[in-house]
Amino acid sequence: MTKTFLQHELKSFWRARNTGKNVAVKIIMGVLILYLLLCALGVGFFLDKILAHVFSGQDVVIAFCGIILIYYIFDLILRMQLQELPTLKVQPYLQLPIKRNSLARYLAATSLISAFNLVPFILFVPFIIKVIAVHFNGAVACSFIISIFGITIFNNYLALYIKRKANLNGWIFLIATGILVLICLGDFLWHIYSIRSISYVFFGHLIHYPVLALLPILIAMGMFYINFFYLKANLYLEELSSKKTLYKSSTEYPFLNKFGIAGDLVANEIKLILRNKRPNSAIKMSLLFLLYGLIFYKKPGMMHSDYPAIFVGMFMTGIFIINYGQFMFSWQASHFDGLLANKLNVAEFIKGKYLLFTLVSTLAFILTIPYAYFGWRILLIHFVMYLWNLGVNTTIILYFANRNSKRIDLSKGAAFNWEGVGATQWLISLPLLITPFVIYIPFSLLNFPNLGLAVLGATGLGAILIRGILIKKLEADFYAHKYTISEGFRNK
Amino acid sequence: MIEIQNIKKTYNGILVVDVPRLEIKKGESIGLVGNNGAGKTTLFRIMLDLIRPDQGEVISNGEVVAGHENWKNYTASYLDEGFLIDYLTPEEYFYFIGGLHQQTKAHVDDFLASLTDFFNGEILKKGKYIRNLSKGNQSKVGIASCLMQQPQLLMLDEPFANIDPSTQIRLKNLLKSINKVQGVTTLISSHDLNHITDVCDRILLMEKGKIIKDIATSSSTLGELEDYFAVG
Repeated sequence: MTKTFLQHELKSFWRARNTGKNVAVKIIMGVLILYLLLCALGVGFFLDKILAHVFSGQDVVIAFCGIILIYYIFDLILRMQLQELPTLKVQPYLQLPIKRNSLARYLAATSLISAFNLVPFILFVPFIIKVIAVHFNGAVACSFIISIFGITIFNNYLALYIKRKANLNGWIFLIATGILVLICLGDFLWHIYSIRSISYVFFGHLIHYPVLALLPILIAMGMFYINFFYLKANLYLEELSSKKTLYKSSTEYPFLNKFGIAGDLVANEIKLILRNKRPNSAIKMSLLFLLYGLIFYKKPGMMHSDYPAIFVGMFMTGIFIINYGQFMFSWQASHFDGLLANKLNVAEFIKGKYLLFTLVSTLAFILTIPYAYFGWRILLIHFVMYLWNLGVNTTIILYFANRNSKRIDLSKGAAFNWEGVGATQWLISLPLLITPFVIYIPFSLLNFPNLGLAVLGATGLGAILIRGILIKKLEADFYAHKYTISEGFRNK
Repeated sequence: MIEIQNIKKTYNGILVVDVPRLEIKKGESIGLVGNNGAGKTTLFRIMLDLIRPDQGEVISNGEVVAGHENWKNYTASYLDEGFLIDYLTPEEYFYFIGGLHQQTKAHVDDFLASLTDFFNGEILKKGKYIRNLSKGNQSKVGIASCLMQQPQLLMLDEPFANIDPSTQIRLKNLLKSINKVQGVTTLISSHDLNHITDVCDRILLMEKGKIIKDIATSSSTLGELEDYFAVG
């Protein structure tokens, strides 16, 4: 059965729309992953030297035992951001004589194919062989490798479990990330406890009692089964699993009325975001990114360069544009024909998009004003990047939206629809993130950082001022692509 | 009102629509019949500028449809659920469509009140999003939104499918009345030969993309069509 599923998935990949783009993205991802694995290999081989250098005066074995848990905490954070959930559209298989177990097993098993599961071995096994096996004996080395195997599997399924839960309820993602960040802060910032000593408690004992390696294996098995049973229990069409439906009332946003048709369109789009799980989690992600500044900004008035603020400022005021905008107009795929055939002109449609971006970014900018605590310059840079987002990034996103014809089915529910949040998506947004630096860096290197900021701000403002012209251009561009877009969207 | 000139559309080398010439006059009621794959929906989509034909033009009130938007002012259409914004409640959807035609909420409410029978108490104030309605009820929302636009040209693709018999009969009466009383040009496709011959004055029969019959409805039309579709 697994073989059949694999074949079907390969077919769905090769026969999908945008196959060329998908392949290109996969190749770039592949190269990146390979590079990261090679880096990990390098670090792995010299880990004993690195540890001896960083923790000079401390026994390398103790240092090693200490960092393992730290690694896994960061591993979990990264996995939650980047690891992609295995996708198999289960619906067509549910009514066939296929055991639920084999579907769930397939989904659980394929999730193990991930570079994340390879890295810990590349990183730690060389050290275990070079140092642990020599210092102690083969049995201890084996118990270390088994423990690492166990914790890796545990992390793998824990991350996927959280992601799956988060797909149904975006708050879970926020809460889980928050907890992990607090755990890290508790050690590195507040010094309440030391993760390294907690880690050593286990791995230090492992040296004397190799049997303890069974513990990670047990928690791994436990996590696997939690994940497995969760999958199995949720292999229902969404309508079946959620019986109770609340009364859905009609809503209005009176303040949008003065924007005419564009305002009506924005009202619809706000409803789209609030009433569908996938865009809903996109916006909750955006909320999370409002805290991004806390990671980068340390002490008030201690800013040595503008780079972090440019990056963070663009992210915080523009994350919605990037995160939600990259799937434009796919969100509306299921009623795109209706939009085209109704009395709605394209210029209004595009105006509506600009209006939506402007409203949300303005809100994000207002929410980030408290960062002025870290210095007024940060606020200034945020404002510059806010202008940049409104002027330039919106236009770029809409330009690419005209070239996107991949359907997203909102009505299909989020439970088994995992395309959307993963590393590939971040890759697509890379050009957006790089462009402002391309402009700013030359000025900064020539020691005119203020001029650089002024140019960024002026470019953004200029683009906002000529929005009328940009809308005309985008409209013409839309007409050139509209048949391709609508045909792609019709293709279920 | 509408003129089709030399429309051709092929998919993967197969000709799906091939209409050298077709003229639809103002006030006509036209029924489009044909088996699956005959090209009815594709023809509709070309007429609504949703698909680009390989060649030819659709002209509506003297203006080419493709690339222009004037025709949208007087054309209302419902082909499938792809026309509905499914995360809105029916009321929100009606207000939105009404807003596109500069109709106030009160105006929309008035109009909807006139459709109470047609809705049969299943659409309004039910506290459901359109996506949670049954297919038949979704279809009712689509058709009602078309009627609300007070169009000069109405295009419906299989409006009788999925809806219950009572509503089918109500819909027939509605369609007849807007055509006969208000003079709206109607273009309807259907697989139900009884209904279509009842509602429409002119029947177009499509086969493999071509219009092979163009008949004014008479008492013998139903028999003629049944003979064509009967498989020997």
